[in-house]
Amino acid sequence: MDTSTANAELENQADATRRAAIDRSVKGPVLFLFLNGAFWLMASTILGVLAGIKAFAPEFLDVSFLTFGRLQPAHLTALVYGWGMQAGLGIMLWLMARRSGQELIGGKSLMIVAGVFWNIAVSLAIVGILAGKGTGFEWLEMPSYLWPVLLVCFLVYAWPMTRMFARAFRPEGFMVSTWYVLGACFWFPWIYITTNVCLHCLPGLGALGAGVNAWYVHGLILLFFTPVAVGAAYYFIPKITGQPIASQQLAQIGFWLLAILGGWTGMQRFMGGPLPAWMVAIGALTGVLLLIPVGVVGLNHHLTTLGKHHLVATSPTLRFVFFGAIFYPVSGAILALLSNFWSGLNLQFSHAWYGYQVTAVYGFFSMTAFGAIYYIVPRLAGCEWLSVRLIRNHFWFSVYGIGTIVVTSLLAGMQQNADINVPERWDQSWMSVVMNARPYLVARVIAWALITWSNVWFLIHLGLMVAGLGRRSAAPTLLPSHHDETDSALPHGANA
Amino acid sequence: MSDFRKFTLSLMATFGVPWLLLIIIPVMKYQRIQPIPYNKEVDGVEGYYPPTGIHRQGQLVYAREGCVQCHSQMIRPAQLALDGWRKGWGQDQEARAAAPVRSNTMRDYLQEPYAFLGAQRIGPDLANAGWRFTDRLDVHTQLYAPRSKDEWSVMPSFKHLYIVRKQQGPVASNALKLTGKYAPKKGYEVIPTPEAEALADYVLSLKKDYPVPGVTAALAAAGEAAKK
Repeated sequence: MDTSTANAELENQADATRRAAIDRSVKGPVLFLFLNGAFWLMASTILGVLAGIKAFAPEFLDVSFLTFGRLQPAHLTALVYGWGMQAGLGIMLWLMARRSGQELIGGKSLMIVAGVFWNIAVSLAIVGILAGKGTGFEWLEMPSYLWPVLLVCFLVYAWPMTRMFARAFRPEGFMVSTWYVLGACFWFPWIYITTNVCLHCLPGLGALGAGVNAWYVHGLILLFFTPVAVGAAYYFIPKITGQPIASQQLAQIGFWLLAILGGWTGMQRFMGGPLPAWMVAIGALTGVLLLIPVGVVGLNHHLTTLGKHHLVATSPTLRFVFFGAIFYPVSGAILALLSNFWSGLNLQFSHAWYGYQVTAVYGFFSMTAFGAIYYIVPRLAGCEWLSVRLIRNHFWFSVYGIGTIVVTSLLAGMQQNADINVPERWDQSWMSVVMNARPYLVARVIAWALITWSNVWFLIHLGLMVAGLGRRSAAPTLLPSHHDETDSALPHGANA
Repeated sequence: MSDFRKFTLSLMATFGVPWLLLIIIPVMKYQRIQPIPYNKEVDGVEGYYPPTGIHRQGQLVYAREGCVQCHSQMIRPAQLALDGWRKGWGQDQEARAAAPVRSNTMRDYLQEPYAFLGAQRIGPDLANAGWRFTDRLDVHTQLYAPRSKDEWSVMPSFKHLYIVRKQQGPVASNALKLTGKYAPKKGYEVIPTPEAEALADYVLSLKKDYPVPGVTAALAAAGEAAKK
């Protein structure tokens, strides 16, 4: 009895040492990516506020580099490449190292260099767009010379992750998180190279170019942001609740259905347009069929959390991840609404499309990423988060902000449909379209302002942590709860 | 290791199929599309379809100013949407057009390296915008001072594409005719830069409703037959 306890104790210690060594090995690149990502997130939300204002008041700040046509792409470029991809890469690297049980051996300084170049490229992209050097391709508005830089930087991160995965692959251990992470490492360069070669290097694709562009945007959401966020959720929900993933079968089905369907979506964006009908139809079909993997993953997360929902109140990580996991089905439902021919034709070219992008990138991906960051950073920085109030502030302002954007964008889309597509109003002037969209745009500005407020504090909080100025304590920063203390205490593994 | 290979191969297969069928093969086939000649007897016109190119320099200005954020260039078929019936979206500028504008086909965009089909419709569709403006100065007025035409407009002013300069001798032929608060100070005039001229050329070149060989004439004949 005594020896077995002692052995278990020793094993625990050995485990903790190994985990600490893994954490140390990825510390530099991961913290670098998170901090810079948080900066771009704040920049993006400020640009979002400005773009929203310019959408209904074009005479506000009337200078050439702040017209709506330039602000809007700059806002989304900062959100996607500045924040989303950097946070995603940081989470992927840490998850892959932890999950494959391997330290990052070489290439750390190369990763930092790649991170620096990534940030230079994003800065040039945003300055370029605002200065009028944009290409006008959706989500690829950045000047065309920047894409090889971003690609190489991405590969500097993706290659070591693939090697970790390959070395650690063991058939007996089911590793759904790392599947998703590897998928993201693998799909993004493929989509990115294909699209950029098609749009920048081929002599011209006319309407097909727009189709490829739409395929790219859907691919980036479904085959990069989605796998990173779902992979993280599959890691953190079991970790914090202390329960294994409810069903391995469901997890496998969810993964492979996403892999099979994801690559077909996109062209339904131009339904009724000049693209061949079969391309649009298959995009519409898969856009709706994606509800199946979305539902399967949502069910699995729900079953895993079952009985431990009170932890959402205390654990900042679980709270953010849980909210993000709820937004996976929400973004899937909006995609289905936009994809099928019944509601898709009505919501096509409306604010609902912007609503989908923001729901997927902020509501679903970013909320999950925040949860991951609240878990990862204390382990890398060696100190705990300073303030419960700041975390709570970040959560609630984000939730209300993103909720407002989702609801108002969808309603604005329906209103636009009522003004543009409804037969009774076919001979009306454009004035009603402009006037009726205004309240929703005002609401969007307020929502982005709330999100900006939450993320300014997030950036400061994260900056203090990275600087090593966090709380020195063995206990993690948890949100106070009204539940019985013993009941809501986190299981042992959650603190590992 | 074999499991890793199996996993990677499965990933490649699942993504490779749509990649090949949806992107690569259509892109390769697209390179071979050529304009088709009209048949004078059937279509009533001569030349090739699509007949003219677009103004590429102007399209570059259109791209970099982000016009696509608010304007689509794609008319959806009348059985799916109202686009073809909306005022001013085709050649017919009447509030109630006699017939819907035809929807767009792949070949309409053949001359364009990239077709700006659209992101949102915060502003009206521009597929046939060339018909909408009475003349060149009309386009320039819309670009320089959108609110001088419609005070509710949310279109930004592209002032930076214009020069306000001191009048030299008689009023320049390309000076904008502005009134009220949008007019320049007395003795000054607003002149388009070459970029603004290119953009105006581009907007005026947007007339994507020319007849489709074999289709438009047949549809018109069917319509006539139905009336009788």
